[in-house]
Amino acid sequence: MKLLRRLIAVVLVASSLLSATTATDSTAKGPTDYDEHLSLKTLPGNAVLASFSFVTNGTFDNHHSVFPRSLAQILEHSHARELHLKFSLGRWDSELWGTPIGKAGGTGVELWAWVEADDDAGADKQWRTLTNALSGLFCASLNFIDGTRTIRPVMSFAPEGHHSEKEMERLHLLHGSLPREPVCTENLTPFLKLLPCKGRAGISSLLDGHKLFDAQWQSMSVVIKPVCDNGRCRLQVEQTVDMVLDIERSLQRRDSPVPKPLPVERLNCDTSKFYGTGDSCFPQTNLGDLPWSLSEIFGRPIKGVCPLARPSREAHVCAIVPAERSIFVSQNSVEIKYPDGTRCFVLPDTADFDVILPQQSPALPLRLELPPLYASRSFTGHGQERGGVQAVLRNPSLTETVDFVYLESLPWFMKPYLHTLRTTLSPASPGFEPIQDLFYRPVLDRARGAHLEAALRIPPNSTLTLSYDFDKSVLRYTEYPPDANRGFDVAAAVITIPKTGFAIRTTSLLLSLPTPDFSMPYNVIILSSTVIALAFGSVFNLLVRRFVGADEVSPRTQRLEEFKERLLAAILRRTRGEKKKME
Amino acid sequence: MSKTKSPPPDTPENARTRSLVVLSFWSVVLLLGLPLWWFTTSIYRAPLPLKEMQSWSNGRACRAEFPLLVDVEAPLLPDPEHLLKTVQHALDDANDFSAHHLRLRLARSHYQSGGHGTSQKSTSSPSETQDQTEEESVAAILRLTPGASGSTHSYQLSNSSRIIDLYYSPSYNPSSSASSTSLALFISKTLMEIFVEEQQMISHLLSSGTPTPPPSSVPPGPSNSSNGSNKINTAEIQRKMSRIMRYSPTYHLTFSMFTGAATPASWEIEQSIEEYLQPLLDALSGISNFTVDSQIQFYASPSPNVVPFWEADTPENLGDPNQLSTGKWVLKKEDLSSFINSAEWPLVSITSYPTINFIIYIPSPSQTPLSISGSATNAFLLPQWGGVMVLNPPNQINHLTKADLKGAMDIFAAQLLSLLGAPSHPPSLPIRLDSLARQRSAELLTSASSTLGSLYRLTKALPSISIPTSVSTSVAATLQSLHNACRELKRGHFGGPNSALEEGRNAAAEAEKAFFEKSMVGQVYFPEEHKVAVYLPLMGPVGVPLLMSAVKEVARVVAEWKARRRA
Repeated sequence: MKLLRRLIAVVLVASSLLSATTATDSTAKGPTDYDEHLSLKTLPGNAVLASFSFVTNGTFDNHHSVFPRSLAQILEHSHARELHLKFSLGRWDSELWGTPIGKAGGTGVELWAWVEADDDAGADKQWRTLTNALSGLFCASLNFIDGTRTIRPVMSFAPEGHHSEKEMERLHLLHGSLPREPVCTENLTPFLKLLPCKGRAGISSLLDGHKLFDAQWQSMSVVIKPVCDNGRCRLQVEQTVDMVLDIERSLQRRDSPVPKPLPVERLNCDTSKFYGTGDSCFPQTNLGDLPWSLSEIFGRPIKGVCPLARPSREAHVCAIVPAERSIFVSQNSVEIKYPDGTRCFVLPDTADFDVILPQQSPALPLRLELPPLYASRSFTGHGQERGGVQAVLRNPSLTETVDFVYLESLPWFMKPYLHTLRTTLSPASPGFEPIQDLFYRPVLDRARGAHLEAALRIPPNSTLTLSYDFDKSVLRYTEYPPDANRGFDVAAAVITIPKTGFAIRTTSLLLSLPTPDFSMPYNVIILSSTVIALAFGSVFNLLVRRFVGADEVSPRTQRLEEFKERLLAAILRRTRGEKKKME
Repeated sequence: MSKTKSPPPDTPENARTRSLVVLSFWSVVLLLGLPLWWFTTSIYRAPLPLKEMQSWSNGRACRAEFPLLVDVEAPLLPDPEHLLKTVQHALDDANDFSAHHLRLRLARSHYQSGGHGTSQKSTSSPSETQDQTEEESVAAILRLTPGASGSTHSYQLSNSSRIIDLYYSPSYNPSSSASSTSLALFISKTLMEIFVEEQQMISHLLSSGTPTPPPSSVPPGPSNSSNGSNKINTAEIQRKMSRIMRYSPTYHLTFSMFTGAATPASWEIEQSIEEYLQPLLDALSGISNFTVDSQIQFYASPSPNVVPFWEADTPENLGDPNQLSTGKWVLKKEDLSSFINSAEWPLVSITSYPTINFIIYIPSPSQTPLSISGSATNAFLLPQWGGVMVLNPPNQINHLTKADLKGAMDIFAAQLLSLLGAPSHPPSLPIRLDSLARQRSAELLTSASSTLGSLYRLTKALPSISIPTSVSTSVAATLQSLHNACRELKRGHFGGPNSALEEGRNAAAEAEKAFFEKSMVGQVYFPEEHKVAVYLPLMGPVGVPLLMSAVKEVARVVAEWKARRRA
């Protein structure tokens, strides 16, 4: 530990020596190769949204400097021209936290890419290469994105990068998701390795698996796309990490890493409730804004600026907090105030950097942005046979009509009936047609899943309920996962608003299918064998045996009886003899 | 026991019907059931030429030969045929590995007119190309010219051509037998010296590739080379062989710069490769192709257990790195094998062919200058993996120029050659590359043969493994290519289209394809208990009555037959 600290100190000294030379270099260069940015935003309920963003630029040839070679190689081998990979965990509570992060994916892993190929078969092959390579790079089960989990969306996604018309003709968009994938440290480590500063300096030094995956909600994303300005193109990878940290929980974790129940005297109980007396404790909701600092909620401060991001000379850390709340920062950093109330800080070259917000009581009101749409989705239906899905979409705006695309990618064992697709508006507005356009690709057993895409519109201040019924298929014995009784995850529905490019995801669903008893095959074999043997035996005996009267038993049978008796007598004698010996 | 009535006697028709019933059940079982069961459960095994595969793996199918043709140009020498004969005798006597032998040929006069090119093709006029392609390629050209007056015999070999310039002493007198013998001896010694390393490598390859070494390689026959030096050489050859990457038609070269801090942030690697390395890669293209990429990684540290120590120039500053004293950080030689931090350094490529890594490591400023103890070049080679060079750029420059990288590139070029297995000895690159082609052919031949041997053993050891048709076609293709390769070797056609190298490459690829056939692997772990569990519940209850009735009937027939005989 001591050695590590010394090493870091040494690294920081080195970077300070460099500052003079790099500053002069930066003026000559065009767009910088690498930039990073962290924004901290307080959310209601004593939560902080930390958004990390790392942008790396690279060339299209084989010689890479800051651009990760592994990613470039994967793109080259799979002929992918644009790639979006998202890892997410938890649920964004848009009622409490407001507008969700538009870049985040659905729970688990979501991947979509534009792949260059001559035809669909070629695209599938490249897609398989891509998923397998990414699976190895990010230690995720992306290789399980097979034909049944892959769809080709028609309306939902548009490329973010610059592709010429001619290129677009040969590009195929493929999309796959793994809602069940548990996102964890093994995905974060390769993610950090792609960064030039690798978590040793700059804002990436805050990223630590223990804190990231302890968050209420978190999302990692990697977007690779070609970016052109003035005819000069470069390959850009944008890595982002967004997380919502519960301050109370983080502070508790700091005090005791292992969660332990608090002693009664330290509990914040709401005593104003008449029923909250004696041995019961109702948590107090208005605690005021708790004090926090970067080193408290992330476990460490920022270790100076990443030297490679320094040439941009921009503020790397910004805080979006109410103007009345005071912010203290470490020495040697410059504060920049923007008219919208955002306060940004230029990181010191070598020293550690920390942001400290003191206690604020009572809590300051936070202005929340209304999301363009509230979406939730759930199962209806009953029994092991009849299923139903219901998506409730609410337009909170009082004036604007929202046009959006609703995309569902269902597993093949969920077979929707399109004729049961119903939309209900509340309050009802007669003459208003919510479904503008519909694309549906039915299931092929074990080959592809259902793909439903609907262009919908909701009038202001209304709720649209979309529902349909589906059949649950019966799976083969080997198609069940080891924990078959847990159920099967159904990927989140993607809701995109084409006008703004904004996207939100519903939660994923857990579908329970009839689960067999897994010793069944052997039972079946034994039972059917017994039945066959019984039938065969009786028929065979009827044909082969000779039937005689009961009093006509042949002497041979008599001999058998005699033999039996003699054998019995011999056994009896012997056991008696042994008993005697024992005595 | 009460007295019983005896049953009515069994009528012969009844007995016959019973026999017929039992017989018909059995015939259904035997004629329909068994073939059906056999047909539905049998595993397809395509026929393989097992005997031939075995003979290849034993090294009995082909005795690889490497006849090397040396053209001798002696424009000013009287009676060169006689001299050649003497030299050839001397060479044959000294050769203890008969598969690899040198053959001298007097160059025809028209070669002498333009015999300054690097290869035979360039020296020939267009009209002769036709008959030359049918001829064997020439391994080297020996040019005999009289040296300066008063000098002894000497030879010279340039870096970029396969012409050996041999200057014989002007006092050479062809009529004197002593003088003639001394020149002949000198020539044979020169040629042996040039090709000895290749010969040893090929002999090592051929003997290690086959389980039973051909008797020609060991023990070494009576020769003028001493046995002691031979033994040292085997260790040396073994060391060299252990470095060599497995042959592949394509290699991926990754040039990485790992810096301990965030500088230098750029390097002129593209230009450096283009200028210093590309000529070599082009020359090697006849043997393997190369794809190249490069990367820079910042904040890279070697494996945590590799800790360099401080060595001060002046003894009084010993052990005090913080003081601004002159000295250096030193890496111990034992640490080099674990220097590569494979957990942290992104060096893996997704290419299907092997990657050779070349790393320039720039230590962090706190550990500059860093050197490797006992190394003049500050570089080291990791066998079958790549090369590493520790570079200490002058005072924190942010950009490495082509000139800064020249030294590293030169070292990497040498490391690349030794990783590919080119012999280190003769300075002439064309001769070394030819050697490499021959050596690679030998390696491919042995590897394809041993893969066939493994496949042979696998099919023998696992009778329940299925063998699809694709395997048998691949094996046939392998055998065909092996035959061709063996033939081309005997002809002395080592490089170029349809050569031994290419045929060997095909053979190795096909053999690998046959051995790693996907559908074969799945069947290996099918448990036998599974079958018992499936069959027994049916076979038991059905089989027992069938068997008992058959036994009864047979006993009845036998009893009847006995009764009839007694009667």
